[in-house]
Amino acid sequence: MTVTDVPMAPQSPAARRGGRGFAPVLPALALVVLVFVIPVLALLLRSVLEPAPGLQNYATFFGSTTYLKVLGNTFLVAFTVTVVTVLLGFPVAWFLAIAPSFWSRLLFAIVILSMWTNLLARTYAWMVLLQRTGVINRTLMNLGLISEPLPLINNLVGVTIGMTYIMLPFMILPLHATIRSIDPAIFQAASLCGASRFQAFTRVMLPLTASGIAAGALMVFVMSLGYFITPALLGGTANMMLAELIAQLVQSLLDWGLAGAAALVLLVITLAIYMVQLRFFGFGQARG
Amino acid sequence: MSFLEIANISKTFGNVTAVSDVSLEIARGEFVTFLGPSGSGKSTTLYMIAGFFEPTRGDVRLEGRSILSEPSNKRNIGMVFQRYTLFPHLSVAENVAFPLRVRRRPAAEIAGKVEEMLALVRLESFAGRMPAQLSGGQQQRVALARALAYNPPLLLMDEPLSALDKKLREEIQDEIRRIHRQTGVTILYVTHDQEEALSLSDRIALFNHGKIEQLGKGRELYEAPRTRFVADFIGHSNFLDCTIARSHGGFADITLPDGSALERVAVHGDARAGGRGGLMIRPDRLRLSPLRGENGPGIDVVLSDATFIGETYHFVLTTGWGASVNMRMPASLARADDVTIGTNLRLHWEASDASLFGQ
Repeated sequence: MTVTDVPMAPQSPAARRGGRGFAPVLPALALVVLVFVIPVLALLLRSVLEPAPGLQNYATFFGSTTYLKVLGNTFLVAFTVTVVTVLLGFPVAWFLAIAPSFWSRLLFAIVILSMWTNLLARTYAWMVLLQRTGVINRTLMNLGLISEPLPLINNLVGVTIGMTYIMLPFMILPLHATIRSIDPAIFQAASLCGASRFQAFTRVMLPLTASGIAAGALMVFVMSLGYFITPALLGGTANMMLAELIAQLVQSLLDWGLAGAAALVLLVITLAIYMVQLRFFGFGQARG
Repeated sequence: MSFLEIANISKTFGNVTAVSDVSLEIARGEFVTFLGPSGSGKSTTLYMIAGFFEPTRGDVRLEGRSILSEPSNKRNIGMVFQRYTLFPHLSVAENVAFPLRVRRRPAAEIAGKVEEMLALVRLESFAGRMPAQLSGGQQQRVALARALAYNPPLLLMDEPLSALDKKLREEIQDEIRRIHRQTGVTILYVTHDQEEALSLSDRIALFNHGKIEQLGKGRELYEAPRTRFVADFIGHSNFLDCTIARSHGGFADITLPDGSALERVAVHGDARAGGRGGLMIRPDRLRLSPLRGENGPGIDVVLSDATFIGETYHFVLTTGWGASVNMRMPASLARADDVTIGTNLRLHWEASDASLFGQ
């Protein structure tokens, strides 16, 4: 994100070479068109063509309390995960930026390694931890804090816990980049100006990191909206999320039309959120 | 009673001593500069007054009251930093208003004060700009306005001009002097630039290795340096190696490497007979002549370099034993044969312009 701080000089080599600067992007662009744009368009077309031309799939989707509940679940989980990752990620990102290099490198390695570990392995690990006879429930029962196992799995609680963990690096990394770009002397100046720690945080730290928080939150929220594996493994059939619903419609019910409608709803919501983010924070041109 | 009293403060980081037993008293309204090379402890001392470092030993008293137990946001001290520290998300006016806003002053008072401060630094028309739209010099002037907005009795400045170019530095030095006169605020200023220190300060504390090497008016430090370090740091100096033949009551008789003897040279520091020393002469106190046998002390030299730098000529002269001596001469006084490289010349000086520093 810091790259965008550099003013784009009109005499940059790419600009002087004119349109040819675009050429390196073409292979990737071709790939995206081939494996993303075309299939998505095909699916969207099926949503208005199957079983018969018209908007009946959308009418079904928005007319069913079951499907609306899935949509509600999806938003609830994505929102909760985003809020919790901001609250948990901010102190970590801050520590990464100011800690002595040994500790910040160690913590950074932990964050990155957890991101690189196989997603299924991590999700199964949460199953072990969260189940009725899992480590968490047994520990709490042995301590006498609870008498019955807490329902931590096969519901939205389990999905939220698992996804918060998986999304945390996507919040920490952009936030860390933003915080690191702030000169610590600014906080010394704020302090001598008379700002308490709380005032320095609310009046200086938060405004200066807002773009990083927004970037991380957007990333986490949008990824959470469409997440599949973790909700499928840690969630319950009674509380599905949208991606699960789409998979079920395609795999079990072979209802490609309705699946396409659900996918379009997800895509439109995602794009709308992205637009809001652009409206307020531009293309990451704000600090960070 | 002194306004600000720094009493025997020391600061160690691990086993590195950054500041060692520094004491200093500053009067209200005074402009005192901490001058010294990097790592001499001058900034560390300033940061202890600001409250960013806690002294290992010693006390800092402002108007008789110790301020060490107060966090920096309660000390009511103003500070301008070396780096640009304006809040990038706030306009110029809002930056200046910041200290008043966190003090929850009424809006009318804030508006009036912001206007007054921007007028003080002559940036009224920039009130609505963002810091990124200002030049470095303008940013530091806004930082100065922000630091003075809450009428702090003490203003700290930590190399505020070091990121600016020379011409701009001089301009802002004039501004700082004017603002000091206009507001009467007590200023503690840190710099490694001796010209800046000389032009701004009432008194200079010259730091070296965590201690104050000498404290006094700029002219005192220049004309009566107490140690070789001070003589070397303030102004340009030549040091000619010599042997001390005799030492008596603040004066010494010495022998230069070419065998020429000088009598009754004023001594600074330790000078034992038989020991070695450095004979210090300022480059602008030297004179050249093609003739031998002029009155006063002198040595034979060869001109090895001459540079014309506007009002003055800068000469490099080589002594008979191979040492280099720097000399400056007003360009109007230099004759054509003075500036021919390789010419044999006689370098001489008034006896009272040379002094001896023991080693």
